[in-house]
Amino acid sequence: MNRIFILTPLIVLLVICIFSLVYLLSGKDPNKPPSALLNKDVPVFESSSLYNSKDIIKTKDIKNKKTLINFFASWCSPCKIEHPLFFEIRKKYPELYLLGFNHKDPPSDAKKYLEDDGNPYDFVGVDSDGLIALEFGVFGLPETYLINEDGKIIYKFMGPITMDILKNEIEPLL
Amino acid sequence: MSSLVGFLSLVFAIGINFYLFLSRYIFKFKKQKFNLFIRLSSLLTLLSFFSLMYAYVVSDFSNYNVFQNSHSNKPLIYKISGTWGNHEGSMLLWLSILSIFSFFFSFTKNIDESFQRLTLIIQSLLHILFGLFIVFTSNPFLVNSILVNEGLGLNPILQDPGLAVHPPILYAGYVGYSIVFSIAIAGLFQNTDDEWLYVAKKWSLISWTFLTGGIALGSYWAYYELGWGGWWFWDPVENISLMPWIAGLALVHSLMMVRGEQAIKKWIVFLSILCFSLSVFGTFLVRSGILTSVHSFAADASRGIFILLIFFIVTGFGFLVFLLKEPKKSNALNLLFINKVSALVINNVLMIIATLTILLGTIYPIIIEVLYNKRISVGGPYFNSTVIPIMIPGFLLMSVAPILSWQTNKIDNSKKYVLAFIVLSVLVLIQSYFLNFNTWGFVGLLLGLWIILASIIAIFSSYKIKINIKFFKIINPHVAHIGVGIAIIGITCSSVFQNELDFNLNEGDKFIVNGKTVLFEKIETTNEINFQSLRGKFLFDVEKNQSKEIEAGKNYYPVSKMITSEAGILHQWNKDIYFILGDQKNNEWFVKVLINPFVSFIWLGVIIMMYSGLIAVSRR
Repeated sequence: MNRIFILTPLIVLLVICIFSLVYLLSGKDPNKPPSALLNKDVPVFESSSLYNSKDIIKTKDIKNKKTLINFFASWCSPCKIEHPLFFEIRKKYPELYLLGFNHKDPPSDAKKYLEDDGNPYDFVGVDSDGLIALEFGVFGLPETYLINEDGKIIYKFMGPITMDILKNEIEPLL
Repeated sequence: MSSLVGFLSLVFAIGINFYLFLSRYIFKFKKQKFNLFIRLSSLLTLLSFFSLMYAYVVSDFSNYNVFQNSHSNKPLIYKISGTWGNHEGSMLLWLSILSIFSFFFSFTKNIDESFQRLTLIIQSLLHILFGLFIVFTSNPFLVNSILVNEGLGLNPILQDPGLAVHPPILYAGYVGYSIVFSIAIAGLFQNTDDEWLYVAKKWSLISWTFLTGGIALGSYWAYYELGWGGWWFWDPVENISLMPWIAGLALVHSLMMVRGEQAIKKWIVFLSILCFSLSVFGTFLVRSGILTSVHSFAADASRGIFILLIFFIVTGFGFLVFLLKEPKKSNALNLLFINKVSALVINNVLMIIATLTILLGTIYPIIIEVLYNKRISVGGPYFNSTVIPIMIPGFLLMSVAPILSWQTNKIDNSKKYVLAFIVLSVLVLIQSYFLNFNTWGFVGLLLGLWIILASIIAIFSSYKIKINIKFFKIINPHVAHIGVGIAIIGITCSSVFQNELDFNLNEGDKFIVNGKTVLFEKIETTNEINFQSLRGKFLFDVEKNQSKEIEAGKNYYPVSKMITSEAGILHQWNKDIYFILGDQKNNEWFVKVLINPFVSFIWLGVIIMMYSGLIAVSRR
């Protein structure tokens, strides 16, 4: 009887550790709850090009093609880190439409940034007042959304994307 | 440069601990040399910590950790606190505090030399485990691969003076239990006399006092910074700190029994292992990012697995030694209805049940998500309806426990207590009846007042009143319980009798709060060093000359693009008036005012408990 009593903490310890381990290995991340927008229609937006204010992009322009939307800014250092990956995506998936939204940035800074680091986007939309980001529910920069042909958001990632995320999470959806 | 110094001293410190561990089996050396090495490793660990702090102070963004978590615009104090405001730095702080405890323990006199050495070797093992964890998964000295001249800032919600000191004090509590753990394990191995129980008592009191302070600071911060008007949310991270706190309380009380020659060694060893295990478990839950809260920094599965392994090794080792080397001689307990021994036993059992209840509620979401892939959250309703009722009989018992006798079940002056209890109950009932009656409010008030009253009666009827240090040491248990009573009153009143008022206001409007006229003077926006502030200015009791100004609003931190809410609190001794500025709609501002009665009693009670903890450390 006494032995069983003393064994109990070890059994409890084992149970807790097993559950925690399974949880950790399952790759769940409670900090990244699924976006409320996931599997919903992409929000209605309208934005002019960074290079030509008469060139306008609207929600209906990205219908019928797979689109990767990336919110970035020149002042955002993590954006700089993920930036080269978009060239890889560009090379690997030429048919994927890459839409960048320049968030709360002076146009001159944004242009200089894309000049220095290169411009991987098909279209760079200006979101100077952050209203488009608000519609998308952007929490912090950078943030990336994948939209399918039906105009539904099928994937969202907060923070800089990495090679791992590209390989394991984005590519299977492409 | 400072990063290199920091990293090297961290590695050297781990090396020395490894050497000390081997010294038990291979190279044996004298006590003085042994202690010298222990202290050297502590100093190296501290050097490592201060190197990181230096990198933060001078905004050395070539250090990746500094780049990620600091910003040159930040005021100096938040640059310093930025050192532990992130995962890597906070783990280094953890290790530093562990070595500070070893450092001071190496100075302990009047204990068996080989016992002290074994305790320190177990500390060394812990140092090695956590040191390797830092070096391999959480190195704060990594070099930044991109050249930058500005950092990414610190979570603005953490830019607060209370929060700057909360983690070190809380950690001092958590990590302090490491030494209690080591003492208990060394005690099991050596199975010598009971001298170690006295040593353990001192250290567990120190840890418990720090833990109390750390928890209180955290909850005070939540009270005025989160802007929800509450101070305890049963957030997983709060629960994690509460578990070792309650278990530690049980431990301290069990150690009291040593004085009455009623040492239940087995139980004390169990609690000592449990306290530290719960501390490590808490570290695991927070650091692995399994639980979401303001405390979890970036999650990383490899870190989680590493620290889970440490938790498994430490706890498993502890309980295994406990299983194999069970302490033999234990005096039979002198249980009577009701003497001090049985009261302490009941109180211990209740505290452990409460701890397990909290543990279950905290890990339940993990179990459910693993089994059913559903995300659930266990919150206030569960904990309020389980933990509080479990604690109530303990509180009742607590009011009389210090005056019970060790040997007999006679209570001196028992009639006096019964009479006092009846009178008090009637008074509280009348008071509750005329105010809005609430069962929990009635029970809480009665309990709190009764604990205070019984303790005061005990002090006046059992001892000769003298004003000297010895007297304060003698009445210390009663003083501690008075602190608990005061805190219970604060907790009950501020939660049960909280009053909420909502207003939609224009600038210049007047409104009534608690019978006083309040003027919503104006909205003001200013640019501070690292944030923009929006403040609503209110004048409380505007009809008097000495009206009080209250500011409530929000801060916007451009670097991290976060908005924090800043509550405006008017403190009065019997209530806090708590202003929250909401959003603007149709040119009207939404203003919420909470009246929290007796909230200051919680902090007062906590301060008294901490005072008692410190006094008890000096008492043998």
